[in-house]
Amino acid sequence: MRRKLPSLVLAVLVALATAGVATAANGGFTPVEPASPNAHHIQHAYYLILGFTSAIFILVETLLVVFVVKYRSRGRARAVEGAQVHGHSRLELIWTAFPVVILAIIAGFVFYELPNVDSAPAAADPIHVTVEGHQYYWQFDYTDSPDRARSIGTLHVPAGRVVDLKVVSPDVIHSWWIPALGGKIQAIPGRINHTWFQADPGSYDGQCAELCGVFHASMRATVRSESQQQYRHYLATWQDTIGKQIWNGVCATCHGNLGQGGYGIAIANNSLLTQKSGLEGVIRNGFTGAQGAMPPVGHTWSQAEIDAIAAYVKKHIYKTAPLGGSNGG
Amino acid sequence: MAARSEAAYPVGWKSGRVASWLVTVDHKRIGILYIATSLVWFVAGGILALLMRTQLATPNEAFLTKNSYNEVMTMHGTTMIFLVVIPILAGFANFLVPLMIGARDMAFPRLNALSYWLFLLGGIILWLSWFSKGGAAHAGWWSYPTLSENFPFTSPGHGQDYWILSLHILSLSSMLGAINFIVTIHNMRAPGMTWMRMPLFIWAIETYAILLLVALPALSAAITLLLLDRTVGTHFFIPSHGGNLLLYQHMFWFFGHPEVYVMVLPVFGMISEILPVFARKPIFGYKAVAFSTIGIAFFSMLVWAHHMFTTGMPVGLDSFFMISSMVIAVPTGIKIFNWIATTWRGNLIFDTPMLFALGFIALFTMGGLSGIFLAAFPVDWQVNDSYYVVAHFHYVLFGGSAFGFFGGLYYWWPKMFGRMLDERLGKWHFWLLFVGFNLTFLPQHMLGLLGMVRRIYTYHHAGQWEAYNLTSSIGSGVMALATLVFLVNVWRTNVLRQGVRAGNDPWLADTLEWYTTSPPPPQNFDSVPYVTSARPLRDLRRRLAEQAQ
Repeated sequence: MRRKLPSLVLAVLVALATAGVATAANGGFTPVEPASPNAHHIQHAYYLILGFTSAIFILVETLLVVFVVKYRSRGRARAVEGAQVHGHSRLELIWTAFPVVILAIIAGFVFYELPNVDSAPAAADPIHVTVEGHQYYWQFDYTDSPDRARSIGTLHVPAGRVVDLKVVSPDVIHSWWIPALGGKIQAIPGRINHTWFQADPGSYDGQCAELCGVFHASMRATVRSESQQQYRHYLATWQDTIGKQIWNGVCATCHGNLGQGGYGIAIANNSLLTQKSGLEGVIRNGFTGAQGAMPPVGHTWSQAEIDAIAAYVKKHIYKTAPLGGSNGG
Repeated sequence: MAARSEAAYPVGWKSGRVASWLVTVDHKRIGILYIATSLVWFVAGGILALLMRTQLATPNEAFLTKNSYNEVMTMHGTTMIFLVVIPILAGFANFLVPLMIGARDMAFPRLNALSYWLFLLGGIILWLSWFSKGGAAHAGWWSYPTLSENFPFTSPGHGQDYWILSLHILSLSSMLGAINFIVTIHNMRAPGMTWMRMPLFIWAIETYAILLLVALPALSAAITLLLLDRTVGTHFFIPSHGGNLLLYQHMFWFFGHPEVYVMVLPVFGMISEILPVFARKPIFGYKAVAFSTIGIAFFSMLVWAHHMFTTGMPVGLDSFFMISSMVIAVPTGIKIFNWIATTWRGNLIFDTPMLFALGFIALFTMGGLSGIFLAAFPVDWQVNDSYYVVAHFHYVLFGGSAFGFFGGLYYWWPKMFGRMLDERLGKWHFWLLFVGFNLTFLPQHMLGLLGMVRRIYTYHHAGQWEAYNLTSSIGSGVMALATLVFLVNVWRTNVLRQGVRAGNDPWLADTLEWYTTSPPPPQNFDSVPYVTSARPLRDLRRRLAEQAQ
């Protein structure tokens, strides 16, 4: 009985893996449902590789199990030797050549799919967005819009339009990834990378995929693929909400949603929130003192954005948190 | 020779129970020191893993967060790679190389001792860095700048500096060890042991040592530049001053990928020793297995940038690194098929070493196949830096390397200590570890495909994310239990001395280490038989049987 156990468990595993392939397309057996052509074509390559590797997996594990069962000792003494076979050149040649052929097919298919993954459709009239990874938020600049609209954390795009992303970072390496909209691209300080998508209508979540520091886990992004009208509306009204977006995306990560403190100090009752010039100094230049340090988050922000965040915190954060709240840590 | 004088002329304090281990230059004792030390760190690194799995068991957990999590994650990776897998394999190599080639010791016994003590020192420095200003390093085991640079919001404090210092010392230790192995293997083989009669483990160690010599300088250079950036104000990796971050990634992975094979080739060697003995057959295709080792090592130096597919390299480079990475699958496939063919028409005896060897094949195959997805760079763009990759490399490094070295421990334990590990506990160990391992890491493939990125300390998704994460965390508990069973087994065998005494050759094995007593005397052999094949001990048994007739 004990001798059969290994084969039994292996057989169960093989069955599980087969079942896994059978129930593909849900439960995390394939990448998330694609919503952009590049993601679709990655999915095709994934399926092809999944097909070949599953076949090899089943072949290898089955051979292993069958041999384990068939050639088990059955109480023969240790001194009894198995067949003294030293090799078989032709057989070995076959299992050298066979993977070469499979790998060539996979590589060929990757090259066939590559143009559809790597570059946007040629006829497209793309909109351009600069994606800036920051510790710990994504900033989107709509470079086509006349007043260079901006959003934090959420990217608004018109559904069906090709979006060309220029991906950069001023601080550490981040990695841009919205699983439904294709693969990753790192945001590397000192370099400019490009990627693209053409999203179906909907809302798609993702997050930074390269360890970027304390709040790597909080560095999320959402792409809202909406109607042309909604998209235009955002570009026209971005300045109305940018204060709130900055608070939620930039400040609240450390200071808490209500300014009650957390990783950073509690600021809800700090009178600096009402003094715009002092506040601007801290936001633009950062701060180092006994209470800890704050990065110069806003050193590239426009005056309009500084004004917006200053107005927002004065109205919505100052003295709104419960008194005696947490003081950091 | 040093090893002999130690036994024949014990002098004063050096012969004490503890002191004799401190001053030893005997390769067997050094090997055991390596292995014992690595196992201590295996437990420590495993505890770090359990902390992380506890934090990730459920969404929005607050058990271990932010920088604490990043420190634990960085230390887990660094410990498991530099303080467990590499040194435990160095330990096996130390113990086995002279015995397997019929030599009395390593070529440079004192250098060998130095390698071990440097390893211990490097490890202690790494673990003391928990107490340094700013805590341990928290930029991940590959420590990409600028996150690892000395800025207020990246890696201030000294944890990163100690991490660099520790890796420098560990690299030195590995370099010295590698030189020692190469010289020993080239010069000290028994009469008649030509290259084609060497045990396959020796082939693996020769290749592993050469890989270390080629790859380690790139790491040393990269972290030296990082140290200069951090401490004396250079700007190698500070883009605002003209530095280049991709330079670090290239240098690191030029070391980092051969490193993967440094961690797995010696295990391939062990599997190639264990399988034939428990199948009662010769290895199927000795030459194919030996030369595929060299093939893997060669190509492993040409694939490094497949770790960098998402850095926006030109498609031409992506294509080159995809093809070179796929090429590596060919010699690896040769090994898998040759190992399976080795069991064909055998008399398979399922002692614990054999279970681990078969488990290794089953799991490593999975890790190898998931690697094909990662080599196809458009697919890698999707799964890179997700839990899919975490699952992949744990199948390679735990399902592969760790299952291999556990098999090696059960197999060579009687030679090291003269006592067998308990078979019943050994089988419990194997099955718990096998089940726990798959519970832990199989669901991580799915998590990665669902979009869970690696190195996050929390997530907010319920449903499938939670189910897979919880399964994974439960699996890690089962693995911990398995490890506990192993430690009990070791305690029973060596401390309570309940292990069955082993003769010279309890497994009826093929190679020269089983010719001498268990454990071997300080000088290893009084005489070594002339080697006429790759299986000198089987030849000897057959000659004796013929004489008896």
